[in-house]
Amino acid sequence: MKSAKWENIFKGWNRKESNEILTLKQVPVFKDFQYSDFRELENLMHKREYKAGDYIFKNRAPGEGMYIIVKGNVKITVGTRSKKENVFANLTDGEFFGELALFDDEPRSANAIATENTQLLGFFTQDLMTLQERNPVLGQKILFNLGGLLGERLRKTNALLVKEQTKK
Amino acid sequence: MSDQKNYIQLIYRIIVGLILVWFLSTIWPYISNVILMLVFAFLFTTILLSSVDNLERKINNRGVSVLLVVILLLGSIGGFLGSFISQISKQAIDFSKRVDKETLTIEFANLVEKFTSSLPNFLKTGQSSNEDFASKLAEFTQTVLGSLASMAGAVGNFMFLATMIFIFTIILLAEYHVFRKSLVSMIPNKYFEIGLKLIFNIEKSVSSYLKGQFLSASSVAAMSIAGLIILNLAGANLTLIIFIGIIAGLSNLIPLIGPFVGMVPAILISFMNNIGNDASTAHMLFGVLPSPFFIFDIILMFLVVQQIEGNLITPTLVGKSVGLHPMLVMISLLIGGTLLGPLGMLFAVPASGIIKVIVKEVAFVRQNAQYL
Repeated sequence: MKSAKWENIFKGWNRKESNEILTLKQVPVFKDFQYSDFRELENLMHKREYKAGDYIFKNRAPGEGMYIIVKGNVKITVGTRSKKENVFANLTDGEFFGELALFDDEPRSANAIATENTQLLGFFTQDLMTLQERNPVLGQKILFNLGGLLGERLRKTNALLVKEQTKK
Repeated sequence: MSDQKNYIQLIYRIIVGLILVWFLSTIWPYISNVILMLVFAFLFTTILLSSVDNLERKINNRGVSVLLVVILLLGSIGGFLGSFISQISKQAIDFSKRVDKETLTIEFANLVEKFTSSLPNFLKTGQSSNEDFASKLAEFTQTVLGSLASMAGAVGNFMFLATMIFIFTIILLAEYHVFRKSLVSMIPNKYFEIGLKLIFNIEKSVSSYLKGQFLSASSVAAMSIAGLIILNLAGANLTLIIFIGIIAGLSNLIPLIGPFVGMVPAILISFMNNIGNDASTAHMLFGVLPSPFFIFDIILMFLVVQQIEGNLITPTLVGKSVGLHPMLVMISLLIGGTLLGPLGMLFAVPASGIIKVIVKEVAFVRQNAQYL
């Protein structure tokens, strides 16, 4: 017969990770995180569901933070559906968007539209600030990782710009 | 056509608003107590939440963290009160050993004589004769008995309120993040980000207000302690100064009544320490007003502290903490006091802070409506 005490001690060993934690593990912003860190993040984040065709946010809307796709598809566009619609990116499970809004008060620079029934996790400036207060080490880790990702993107954009200019 | 539609919509909204106001005013007497309990529980939760969250991160168990923080809080309140009561009762025992009933009577008679002799003539004319005294005493006894009965009722009611607030606080502390998430999940997708920002700003405003109140209470405590030390230098012979200062600081949080509650222990201790001391009985404030046992000195000192706190510290510190102009803080306090008395004054500033946040966000939503 199993002892309740031992079962209690080893109860974390066969823990089942939620879909949300499994998704967060794929996101580079949260690389090198421990299980307890993911639990804390999961508690802070907001689960949202959107139907196919729903706007997650519109271009020029006030932005508060980033979204991570747990399940579904999201297209990032500029322009309107009736007029010229330019699709920048099609994002799927484990990918994220809108992270720039974590750093500035500028309005959104594109539309985000669900192309099928989609589950998202929202992580906002307020959540980041709460996390900074409650667990500064974790907050700093996220900021550092986000900084790295933005730096990488900037480098890529610079390279593209140089390429375009040398073409001319 | 569209103008007519707008008018109909406006009339419809006014009717719905009026029905809502009527409905709320009808049920208000039944729900006011519960709302009051929830508001207090929310305030206590805001104060204790960060400690519970920090502890939970360390021991990984929310329930135990809540229990530990609550036990620690109750322990410190109990320890403070217990220590204060034991110290003051020790002093009362010393006092009763030092002074017998006869001395006390003589002391009182001397005091009354000294006080009446120092009064101007026109104030002495209304004094009662010995015949009226018995009937006045009977009347006074009846009033005291009546007051005692109503006080027992009030104490019972207070105990019930305190127990319910305590239970609500524990539940809110244990489930705060779950409640918050459920509230956020109810916001429609279109207003989600704005709604989340609104909740966050309200939380921030309340927590800043509480921080401001804490600073204000601490400053009153510090100023009272300093004032009592100065009185001691003048020969007031006061003890338990730290306790008196803390009580004055805490009770100052309750507008109007609080400041007077702070004075009581100081006067009581001064009386117990100085009875039988001729120099103290004959003490004159500024050499003009008779102030036996430094009573008027103590009252004056607390009044000065309250004026500094009320006109300087609260409007700047507390107003700054909720982002309200000092003038607006004063107006809120006046409106709160007129509507709900001391309780209204207690909630006036955080309520104004919350209203300001809501108005700001609604204006923001109206401005950006086409992008939502």
